[in-house]
Amino acid sequence: MDQRIVDLFREAIGPDAVLTEPVQLVTYECDALPHLRSLPEVVVLPRSAADVQKIVRICDREAVPFVARGHGTGLSGGALPVPGGVIISLARLNRVLDVDIPNRRVTVEPGVTNLEITRQVAPFGYYYAPDPSSQQVCSLGGNIAENSGGAHCLKYGFTVHHILAVEAVLPNGDLVQIGSPLADAPGPDVLGLLVGSEGTLAVVTKAVVRILRKPESVQTLLAAFDSISAAGAAVSEIIAAGIVPAAVEMMDQVAIEAAEAAVHPNFPPADTILIVELDGPSPEVAELFGIVEATCRQTGATRVEIARDEAQRQRIWKGRKAAFAAMGRISPNYYVQDGVVPRTKLPDVLGRIRQLAERESIRIGNVFHAGDGNLHPLICYDERIAGQSALAERVAGEILIYCVEAGGSITGEHGVGADKTEFMPKMFSADSLDVMQSVRDAIDPKRLCNPGKVLPTPRLCGEVPGPYREHPVERAGLAERF
Amino acid sequence: MSVSEALRQGTSEDAVDGVVPSQVALPESADGLARLLADASRRGQHTVLGGGGSKLGWGRPPARIDLAIGTSGLDRLIAHRHADLTVTVQAGMTLVSLNRQLAEHRQFLPIDSAFAAATIGGIVATNDAGPMRHRYGTPRDSLIGVTLAMTDGRIVKAGGTVVKNVAGYDLGKLVSGSHGTLAAIVDATFKLLPIPLASTTLVASYADGKALARDVAALHASQVELTSFDIVSLNQERWILLMRLASSPAATTAQAAEARRLLSSAPTTVNAEEENALWSEHIQAPWAGEGTVVRFSWSPSSLPAVVELLGGVSRHGCQVPVFTGRTIGAGLVRLTGEDSSIAAAITELRASRAVGHVVVLRASRRLKELVDVWGPPTGANEVARVLKRTFDPANILNAGRGPI
Repeated sequence: MDQRIVDLFREAIGPDAVLTEPVQLVTYECDALPHLRSLPEVVVLPRSAADVQKIVRICDREAVPFVARGHGTGLSGGALPVPGGVIISLARLNRVLDVDIPNRRVTVEPGVTNLEITRQVAPFGYYYAPDPSSQQVCSLGGNIAENSGGAHCLKYGFTVHHILAVEAVLPNGDLVQIGSPLADAPGPDVLGLLVGSEGTLAVVTKAVVRILRKPESVQTLLAAFDSISAAGAAVSEIIAAGIVPAAVEMMDQVAIEAAEAAVHPNFPPADTILIVELDGPSPEVAELFGIVEATCRQTGATRVEIARDEAQRQRIWKGRKAAFAAMGRISPNYYVQDGVVPRTKLPDVLGRIRQLAERESIRIGNVFHAGDGNLHPLICYDERIAGQSALAERVAGEILIYCVEAGGSITGEHGVGADKTEFMPKMFSADSLDVMQSVRDAIDPKRLCNPGKVLPTPRLCGEVPGPYREHPVERAGLAERF
Repeated sequence: MSVSEALRQGTSEDAVDGVVPSQVALPESADGLARLLADASRRGQHTVLGGGGSKLGWGRPPARIDLAIGTSGLDRLIAHRHADLTVTVQAGMTLVSLNRQLAEHRQFLPIDSAFAAATIGGIVATNDAGPMRHRYGTPRDSLIGVTLAMTDGRIVKAGGTVVKNVAGYDLGKLVSGSHGTLAAIVDATFKLLPIPLASTTLVASYADGKALARDVAALHASQVELTSFDIVSLNQERWILLMRLASSPAATTAQAAEARRLLSSAPTTVNAEEENALWSEHIQAPWAGEGTVVRFSWSPSSLPAVVELLGGVSRHGCQVPVFTGRTIGAGLVRLTGEDSSIAAAITELRASRAVGHVVVLRASRRLKELVDVWGPPTGANEVARVLKRTFDPANILNAGRGPI
């Protein structure tokens, strides 16, 4: 980048807020999808919305592409630096601005972590519902960009259902208020468009989020099954009984083995493990939980374990949430895929994935949100063996095709980012993609706001697909892949 | 059938807010709808999209309408994937008809409307929601996919048929609340819910709004999970709280007992058919008589201030026969009296810090000339206007009438 532009950034927001030394920049070369990496030339660390505006205005005037970044835990390369561009890190915008318990809302800056919101309101008996497994470290700004979900979104929805309003800097530098803390703002739901747009339409500088009353009761059980179809039948019966669980998770044998090796949750021997959690008012949970337990037994569960206390519940969730990171115990490298199928197609698609694994002689573990059909196949490989990295990538891509063929989606929660743009045409027609591009061009006519992400364009230079490497936050034990 | 054959002359029965459209079209296919839009765009024809017509009068008064497109020919249920709890339905099907069909599998779309004629397309386009929004949100919260006909004649999709999906821009959200200004909704896909096994409604009466507001605050802070939770005030004299609990049988009974314990006024219980009739009457109350209907919202903690504000509105010479409010802070008020008095009341509501987003839904043409129905534009509206120019460059869709 032209030194003149770097100087403009320094003048605008101060020399200590502009990083250009390679040793400082290396942190920003990738997010938690480390096989896509590119060293940025400049990183800026604004302290306020006004700082963000100043940077974006310079970018607009000088035609410099920019990429907003939260805490770098994204799993689709959404925060991958763009050649010739600047990374706008929102890490210093990390203040909780207002906690309004009577009106159930909290106002924060985008660098506040997801879990910090819950920490702020927990003493009053409230929580922030979306719970991506990186919630200890991921930023709310990143959650808004990705429309993050989590294990409990079956009942509680995604980030888009919990954001009431944002303040954002548009690609032309204008600061706008989108949405409203009050209901029924007239007009198109622009906020709903912005949430999940993966940082391609604006840079969020403030958000008002909805908080919920902490459920009075939570009950969790783990059921062991001899087959995925038996576990799938249990889920179908539970839902047919009129129950919407807070979470329904499944793990297959490979994932169970990995979890046992890593965190010893002491899961019973099983082909498939089903975890069901109900929450809500105590009488409701007590009554419905009995139905869930009976259903699991009737559909052939070989064992049902009920969490008797919070410690047992945490043990079950630890085994589940550790499954991704745990793959490292049984495989030198692994690739995490994220796809969605209609829930009833789970057994078929998992059957196809098992056949694929056999055909390609590659191990694939499966961990998924069974209630909403969101699959997370974990493709095991060894990058030291020639051709295995490419094979893993090809297998991961083929699984996405299965998802689309089953009527599903190429991403349920990790986003398209830089990783899956080539798969967008498998899901959407050229006309549909063209209209989406026209939305983007209307708001970002100079194509400077996180270019190359979400919608298909030629691959970026410097973007070399490669094997998984542990992210620094994972290595430090701060985050797990979910 | 060619586009021209599908067109007929408009009659007084087709009037939108008193203006008779020159031509009317009722396409029976997505392609037919898209061709009509492309044709209207080329000719610069002011076009109004309508479903059952229940909310077609909302918006600024039209200067002229060249073409009214109705979706009555696009009223099929495309797929009810009951085991996946999703449905795809064409825009012209009514909510009533859809929920009747979903009930065959003990499922429902958790949206309620005051209007029997309301179609899925109109419900999405207005994002209009009834008391159930307390628990389930507005239509945009259940919407997971859309097919749109664009003004250039293209048919595009966004979202999908699975409940969890973050691929691409969510154009379904964008058309939610767009009031037919951006594109025509061809079909919509929603996530569904099982019909709760049991339901009961408590009705508590109060002599004044302040006492009611205290009970609302107590319930709001409790663990009682209500599916619908509404306030009604009739002539500012009777204040009523309606609370619906729907869950498993034992849980419904236990929750009702807990709610009863928290209330300062002993409620009556309404069940079964009487319960449905009560809610149906309640949701229609703001619309059931003559007068102007205004929508507005507030922060839940401002409810006492809202009660006071409405009490003072009669100062302008108008009456407040009905006010209904959701406890999340969204409500409707019906005002009767001279247009000038009502306009003064609306101006006062807009000036108050206790309420926001004061939108005039049903009003006489004269009143619409006295006050802007939408109120001041929001930041989101400014972004939406940029998108409007992209989606509808000839500015044909609900031109001058909608919120953008």
